[in-house]
Amino acid sequence: MSPASGVTVEFDHVSKHYDPREKGPGAVNDLSLFVPAGKICILVGPSGCGKTTSLKMVNRLIEPSSGRILIDGKDIAREDPIELRRRIGYVIQQVGLFPHLTIADNVAVVPRLLGWDRQRQVARANELLELVGLPPDRYSRRYPSQLSGGERQRVGVARALAADPPLMLMDEPFGAVDPIVRERLQNEFLRLQRDLAKTILFVTHDIDEAIKLGDLVAVMQIGGKLAQFGPPEEILANPASDFVARFVGADRGLKRLSLVRVRDLAPRPVVMARAGEDAADARRRTLADDYPYLLLVDAESRPIGWIHQRHIPESGPLTADVAEPMSPLLEPSDTLKDALGRLLAAGVEAGIVVDERGRALGILTFADIGELLRSGAQGST
Amino acid sequence: MLSHLDDLASRALQHVGLTLVALLFGFAISFGLAVVAVRHRTTYGPIIGISDLLYVIPSLAFFAALIPITGISFLTVEIPLVLYTLLILVRNLADGFDAVPSEVLEAADGMGYSRRERLRRIEIPLAVPFAMAGLRLACISTIGLVTVSAVLGDRFGGFGFFILEGYSRSFPTEIYFGALPSILLALAADTLLIRIQRRLTPWSRRASAGGPEEPRWT
Repeated sequence: MSPASGVTVEFDHVSKHYDPREKGPGAVNDLSLFVPAGKICILVGPSGCGKTTSLKMVNRLIEPSSGRILIDGKDIAREDPIELRRRIGYVIQQVGLFPHLTIADNVAVVPRLLGWDRQRQVARANELLELVGLPPDRYSRRYPSQLSGGERQRVGVARALAADPPLMLMDEPFGAVDPIVRERLQNEFLRLQRDLAKTILFVTHDIDEAIKLGDLVAVMQIGGKLAQFGPPEEILANPASDFVARFVGADRGLKRLSLVRVRDLAPRPVVMARAGEDAADARRRTLADDYPYLLLVDAESRPIGWIHQRHIPESGPLTADVAEPMSPLLEPSDTLKDALGRLLAAGVEAGIVVDERGRALGILTFADIGELLRSGAQGST
Repeated sequence: MLSHLDDLASRALQHVGLTLVALLFGFAISFGLAVVAVRHRTTYGPIIGISDLLYVIPSLAFFAALIPITGISFLTVEIPLVLYTLLILVRNLADGFDAVPSEVLEAADGMGYSRRERLRRIEIPLAVPFAMAGLRLACISTIGLVTVSAVLGDRFGGFGFFILEGYSRSFPTEIYFGALPSILLALAADTLLIRIQRRLTPWSRRASAGGPEEPRWT
């Protein structure tokens, strides 16, 4: 883990008013907030709440009517906007890749503007494509029109990271892809951010996304007013107003599940045996346990399937063919929300918790999750 | 027969020369006008309107009207030819700049492109397909119009010289002798421009240029 490479961002009584005759983006009213270095701050709210306007004031695509914005303590109004933008990563929902440039050239756009030599540009583009999961040998020479929506969005993120900016502005970056791709991109985004530790301002209208990704969440309401600002746990537990409570939804108890990860709960132990092991011994151990199933695993402890205690042979080696299909596999980094969803989808009571190498650690049941909800215990993030 | 071929070659050269000069100047003027029209929206209507209006002047009348000013000269031929290209080129170039998606411009601004860099590196390359479409039309129409300039005397007109001569002598073979090469020249020029466009815009060919097929979501 590298030390925080981000910068602080501060909105100091920032307002943006528009001519009432003009139909522009949402106005912003006396916004003050402070984002510590290396944190993800989500601006969330209904459309017209001024979240995008707020974001665009940070790279001066929109100028505030009053107030100051400070990056690393320095007032950005005194800086040259072109220079400023080259030091800030920018990702938008429609991506806006340049259709006439190859993927590698798209990624190297800011390095080229900054006058890096060609070799360094290419090396950086390759490094970033690798980072966002697009192998450069397959992708760097293609054009944007030859990519899927999800792939384009990855290129957009790589492009924004190209000059290693300490601050990233992201405007609904995952808004235009389907839910499955979105979830994958979100997870990869969190994984990336663990290493990069950028300061990130992230706009979304999706409260679930805000809770999942944010270290800090700024809930904004129509008229560009900040309704609440704090860590997601706090916003879910103590909404500051009726508006916030309505916006986070009646299911805010359930939403807290997305703040807790599988690794935060101790997996429930379960009787395991390797394929090929003596059935009699496994049978004895399973009968002694109150859970009626034996988990059959392979030589590397990866789960193969379940065997009900009645179906365990009385003698001989255990074989894979008596095992029933497996429960969903839950990884330590999965949120309990995702875990619960997977249990529901599979129609089973328990999922198998596995580590990064796929080795079975134990199980997680509906009952465990229900208990957590009742107790109101909160997870670490 | 040999002298005919000689004649044909020199007329071909003249035809190509007159066309090229018209296209070159026409494109340069149109480019400037299109940039102004797109940058300053209020000028868009007048600029397009005037370039449209020029086209309604009959070419014969245009040549005739210029004779008192520029005499029977190269300018008298080129001024109408250049102005006639404006109708097509200004409109196409302006459309080309307009067709650059707004998110591409927003991304460019957000990345820190200055206005000039954005025009040079983003807007102009993206306008190329439109510009080339305009250029192809303008090229074909100019090659046709060059023949009309034969009325200004045998120093002009390219292949039009043969057409006019054939007409005055009621000698239809010579009319074909002028018309056919003019048509062939237009077709050849068009093919060449298509080739150039393909070369300039590899990105607009959507065919799979690399890698295995990926699932598409959009």
